[in-house]
Amino acid sequence: MTIPQTLHVVIVAFEMTIKQAMTDAFIIFGVIVQPMMIAILALYMLGERGDEIAIFVVIGSGLSGLWTNVVFSSGNSITSERRTGTLEALVGIPTPLHVVVFGKNLAFVVQSLLSMVASYTLASLIFGYPLTVESPFQFIISIILSVLSFVCFGLMLAPLFVINPDVQRWQNGLEYPVFILAGFLFPIALLPIWTSPISYILSPYWAAQALHITSHAQPGFQQLGLSWLAMISLSVIYILISRFLFRRLSVKARMDATLNLQ
Amino acid sequence: MKTLIRNTQLFFQSAYLSYVALFHWLRPAQYLATKVVNPLWQIMFFTLMGIYGSGGESASFYVIGNALVLTALNGIFGVTFSITGERWTGTLPYLFGTPANRLTLFLGRSLIHIFDGMIGVVIGLTWGVLLLNLDLSQTNLLELLLIILITSFSTTGLGLALGSLSLVTRNVMFVNNTAYFGLLILSGANIAVEKLPAFIQKISYSLPLTRGIYSARAVVSGIPLSELLPLLGTELAIGMIYAILGYFLFTAFEYQAKKHGTLDVI
Repeated sequence: MTIPQTLHVVIVAFEMTIKQAMTDAFIIFGVIVQPMMIAILALYMLGERGDEIAIFVVIGSGLSGLWTNVVFSSGNSITSERRTGTLEALVGIPTPLHVVVFGKNLAFVVQSLLSMVASYTLASLIFGYPLTVESPFQFIISIILSVLSFVCFGLMLAPLFVINPDVQRWQNGLEYPVFILAGFLFPIALLPIWTSPISYILSPYWAAQALHITSHAQPGFQQLGLSWLAMISLSVIYILISRFLFRRLSVKARMDATLNLQ
Repeated sequence: MKTLIRNTQLFFQSAYLSYVALFHWLRPAQYLATKVVNPLWQIMFFTLMGIYGSGGESASFYVIGNALVLTALNGIFGVTFSITGERWTGTLPYLFGTPANRLTLFLGRSLIHIFDGMIGVVIGLTWGVLLLNLDLSQTNLLELLLIILITSFSTTGLGLALGSLSLVTRNVMFVNNTAYFGLLILSGANIAVEKLPAFIQKISYSLPLTRGIYSARAVVSGIPLSELLPLLGTELAIGMIYAILGYFLFTAFEYQAKKHGTLDVI
């Protein structure tokens, strides 16, 4: 496939997914309602730390929405095709499956940015907190890198859930551990020291670092550069792992002679 | 007498079968994930956030609150799915067609969830003791168990009401998840009810769990059960009100379904 053709597929998959997701109550809950409820809880629970905690909560609860959507929507982006009976057609077309899944995941993660908008609106309009982002330019770059790294993470989950349904049984259990290990709403310093290496291999941790830092201060390049570099590096690693998983998926489907992979 | 025996039999059969069908017991991993591991993460998340917010003084407040909320995993999700599952599996018309006693059939759905909900709380508290230094040395464990039983019952009452509502919506998960998070905010599990706005407090006190969580915290801190009996009586009554409401909704939807010839209700 040429690059323009690939881009076209990504855009079409993105557009279709956005249209479908906008009418899915479960996704709306994960993207808007749950992050807002987590924001309400956090604003009350962390409120004693002063007004400056509000932007921390907005970003943390927003990131929780991004991650929830990665786990449940991106993770199910192949299994959902199986449910609707379109997987066979999708695998049969000349376009590689991972290109379509990338477009879908991009839609899910971009749509999840609504979590931050919802939390911002809640904290600002209803709770009346003054909210400012100290380094808007770096913040926007951090958002873009975060989106890409979340998409790449989703690219690993989608084939993994299909190859091994037992992993998907633990899908619900993937939500809170990352909220904790990535330090969305409290620093990982509260956790035992042995958990830190796990945090470091999760791109959501570096996304949270970058977004929290840029919203609170004007960080030096060294401080912010580490988070950006980590997100880029981890995204590359996630893509390599996902390529392996997509190949495994394809081989398994052919060996078992069951395109719906069950 | 014969009718009583038949209804009792129906009650326990309905309780057992709806529960077995729900959790796919042949796969213990499903149960472990839902009831043992996932609750740990939820308790950890909210407790650590609470510790960060309060400067590290109140872990037990959050551990107890979130452990008690676990009754809602059974009470809300379990019971609701037991009822709405009939629609998904296409068995609702048969259920409406059977001459079985409706009250027995309806309440039977909740029985095992009450006890399984209690197990969930015990697991949650055990995590609290093992990992978050929850101190139960002042606690009369039997009294705590009674509070957990009453709270599990009242949450199941809410689940029966939501289960009936789920028969007229296609977005069951949206309703359930919103209710669950609503309880995390309003029940006092994570935010002391006194901190909420006055009109929200009224909602809090009309929900199950609120008094149960308060009582559990009190018993853990060594306050005798006798001082908490009025609260627990009200908790029990709230559960009954929701269960009765659920039953009336169930029968009303059944009537509408039969009247309009829409046997799967919508």
